Amino acid sequence: MSEPRNTVTRVLGAACMLAAIGTVNADETTGLTDTTIKVGVMGPFTGNASSYSKAEIGLIAYFKHINDQGGVHGRKFEIIQEDTACEPAKGIAGAKKLIHQDQVFYLHGNSCSGVAMAVKPTIEPTGIPWIIAHAVNQDISKPPTKGIFHGVPAGPAYGTAMGKFVMSRPGTQRVGIITHTNDWAKNYCEPASEFMATKGVKPIVEVALERGQTDATAQVLKLREAKLDFILGCLYEAETVVFLRDAKRYGLRVPVMGTAGTDLENTLARLGDQDAVKDYYVLHAYIDNVDGPKMKAWNDIVLKYYPDEKITGFSTISMASGVAAVKALQAAGRDLTRSKFIAELDKIKDLDTGILACRITWSADDRQGCKESAVAGFVNGKPTVLSGWNKPL
Amino acid sequence: MAETNANPAPAARRFRRLYYLAPVIALAIPFIVNEYLQFMANAILVYILVTLGFNIVIGNLGQLAFANTAFFGLGAYTTAIVMSYFGFPYVLAVVAAAVTGGIAGFLASVTALRGIRLYYLAIITLAFGELLRWVYLHGDKVTRGSDGLLVPHPYFLGIPMDSETPKFFVFLLITVLVVKATSNLMRSRIGRAIVAIRENEAATASLGIHTAHYIVLAFVWSGAVVGIAGAMFAVLTGRVFPESFGLAEVIVHFGMVLVGGTSSIVGSVIGAITLTALPEYFRQFPGMSELFFGIVIILVLLFLPKGLASLLARISPRFNERYYLD
Amino acid sequence: MLLQLTVSGIAQGALYALIALSMTVLYRATTIVNFGHGDFVMGGAFVVYVAVIFFGLPFVFAAIASIGLMFVLGLAVSRGFIDPIKTGPHIGFAMMSISIGYVLRGGARTLWGREVLPMPRVFDMDPIFVGGVVITGDAMIICSTVALLLAVFFLIFHRTQMGTLVQAVFQSERGATLVGIDVRRFHETMWGVGLAMGAIGGILIAPISLLHPDLGASFLIRGFAAMTLGGFGSLSGAVVGGLVLGLSEQYLGAYVSTALIDITAYLVIILVLVVRPAGLFGRLVAVRM
Repeated sequence: MSEPRNTVTRVLGAACMLAAIGTVNADETTGLTDTTIKVGVMGPFTGNASSYSKAEIGLIAYFKHINDQGGVHGRKFEIIQEDTACEPAKGIAGAKKLIHQDQVFYLHGNSCSGVAMAVKPTIEPTGIPWIIAHAVNQDISKPPTKGIFHGVPAGPAYGTAMGKFVMSRPGTQRVGIITHTNDWAKNYCEPASEFMATKGVKPIVEVALERGQTDATAQVLKLREAKLDFILGCLYEAETVVFLRDAKRYGLRVPVMGTAGTDLENTLARLGDQDAVKDYYVLHAYIDNVDGPKMKAWNDIVLKYYPDEKITGFSTISMASGVAAVKALQAAGRDLTRSKFIAELDKIKDLDTGILACRITWSADDRQGCKESAVAGFVNGKPTVLSGWNKPL
Repeated sequence: MAETNANPAPAARRFRRLYYLAPVIALAIPFIVNEYLQFMANAILVYILVTLGFNIVIGNLGQLAFANTAFFGLGAYTTAIVMSYFGFPYVLAVVAAAVTGGIAGFLASVTALRGIRLYYLAIITLAFGELLRWVYLHGDKVTRGSDGLLVPHPYFLGIPMDSETPKFFVFLLITVLVVKATSNLMRSRIGRAIVAIRENEAATASLGIHTAHYIVLAFVWSGAVVGIAGAMFAVLTGRVFPESFGLAEVIVHFGMVLVGGTSSIVGSVIGAITLTALPEYFRQFPGMSELFFGIVIILVLLFLPKGLASLLARISPRFNERYYLD
Repeated sequence: MLLQLTVSGIAQGALYALIALSMTVLYRATTIVNFGHGDFVMGGAFVVYVAVIFFGLPFVFAAIASIGLMFVLGLAVSRGFIDPIKTGPHIGFAMMSISIGYVLRGGARTLWGREVLPMPRVFDMDPIFVGGVVITGDAMIICSTVALLLAVFFLIFHRTQMGTLVQAVFQSERGATLVGIDVRRFHETMWGVGLAMGAIGGILIAPISLLHPDLGASFLIRGFAAMTLGGFGSLSGAVVGGLVLGLSEQYLGAYVSTALIDITAYLVIILVLVVRPAGLFGRLVAVRM
């Protein structure tokens, strides 16, 4: 290989030009036929975060439900699922496949924030519409870009809700944190701490509990020593169970504010101990309990297409952004293009999805459509939605 | 003169020139594939180097040293750090990654030299890799922890590498250079000494060969090669995350070496292609990729212990590389 | 606090000791380190779950079924997968054990789907309180099981003819064959025993953490660390190593930083192999490649 340098450069340059010609001005009607709309759904269907893909399952069930009702302006959804396994490299491959090989009309999904951030540079330059249906990191949609929409509360919204609830308990001064050290947990605990700081309360102690750990003794003892009023618990499902169990065991009886990553019913089912969860609160993005009457219709849609699916706090959360997407597709009319779709999404204001506690509002300046979340806790042994400390809705 | 690998007969030498055909044919790839397939092709190039480097230690040297993800991660993070904090151009970043990888390789070799072998070596190198991952996660002032460290847009000789196609050409160039250099090394006296150490260390030493030097060299070279692969990986994904460099990753690397063929350069290429491309067909089903991976490795171990490269060797003895693990 | 941490450390350590013990038994018998052991532990727990939830068996029967099943699996693994590659390098064994573990994990995940499952609580003993210190039922049961197993294997390996057999095969397989020992059958049996012990571990661990396919991974590394600390091949070393590791994790976590708990095992491994590779009770044995 002893070619002169300038030949190599020339070859490279020519290749780049050729590549550029073939690239990336998102075709307005790519992924559309007379009868179908191709939608690409990315999610962690395998791997150790696979329980979070229940959200994408719910979304897909909703699309199928719309199909059964005739679709949108005569077009039915053709759903292409791509597994990210919550790994950035796999996520990038999946995103590229959806955009460049399957050539979908738009993207809708993503539970893992890390993957969403990793694929953002692949998706953003194409301008293709992308609705984030589960992932929480606000940096995905801020600053706003051409096609990216956030269809669930983002980190700051959730964190603020957590902080507000904690502060609504009278006399809260001493707060502690137990958290995973990954970005998922930081997306909750950091904005929560920031909110509380604005009220003059800063966490006194912070302990880490890693995924897969089955013992929280050291963490619980440290928290117990600090004599706290409230604890922020930014932990996944399994580790929440471990923590609450050990907290009861060692006499740490302090209210714990959890995230949107767990739900009360399942935590209780796993702990098997009402007493251990009675002071546990979670973010509850919905207008009703998971098995409440207002959610039944939605749960039924999921079960219709996935009869073996267990309904948990993740199952319906992405359907809300599905409702918004379908609304925008309908408003865009039969003459559908990507730009029209985006424009219609930006026109959505105060949309009551029938699922989320917040009302979705999007605009070109602010793509974080959902700014609120409720909190839920056990009241008399029943999971109840709360607007504040001791205040059932 | 007896035919050896160092002085092959004209027919074999001519045949080896065919190996040069592969990269030339590969040049056509960008003109016939879309961005997604191009991305996969780039990923394959990265993993070719990963497997090549790993194979030197596991195959040619025969040591059970699982430090590969350590080298890989160090290469990726070094690249990201020197580019985003110090503004290094990409070429220099690749060199920095190679250097870091080489140093890590040196450290790994020290444990091997102290007589730590077999399972001890495997475990300590695994531990080393996991420790580094913890450092990436917790050193977040520098590494940005679990948010991932953004790699600024690289430029190669003034040409921006902002889509898969320019990346491909750069990666192809790097890969060809590294594979050729490694091939030369393994065919030389040094390579033969390394294999001799694998076969019988005491006997090799008794021939007056400083085994320690060659062990160190093998590790350092391996570390450098995989470090370079890490530099490519950083640009491939654009953002470097700690989770990419854990235990699961080193097992995948191991699988590539085994499936392709230990101590075989052609094997490294085949293994990388097979285990990077095939799992893409299994994206849908929970657990399928693990099942597939496990079953393939088991089948290879039972029925094709010298890897897919030995299949090639059955087709034509010209593919036979002398250094198969026996 | 120190006392509570110590109790907890011993309880956790006993778990690690159990894993390390089962891997050591296998290693002593076959010179192979089972890199897939974590997944066999998970497999044992999964079998119990299926037996209890889907077949309605009472827990004790489910546990026995699981242990029996894993024993048979051990025989099958040895006969079908390890024996054929016996003449190959040790690298092959490592990879084979990992791959079998992967198949187990992938199979479990396929059957499992996306859920994180609660393991039925079996020992609902109330914790006892000594002073201000809580000792849980789980902890007591695990510690006694580990102590029992250690005693059993110690007796077997050192006092019975079986034990001499183990040592004979370990030292020289050819020699053992020459004197009429059926090495193949012996290996199979020991694989069965090793996996059965792993199943016991899974049955004890699963009620404490939730049941999910990746359960085995973190315990595997702890097992390695315990074996390394105690000295490869030493039964008591495995147990002592496990206990020390459990205690170290608790102390480091409480007094230095909880972020260290995750990597204590790795630090222990590196420290031991750099300072005293033989570990506390082991001797560096030269194993022919």
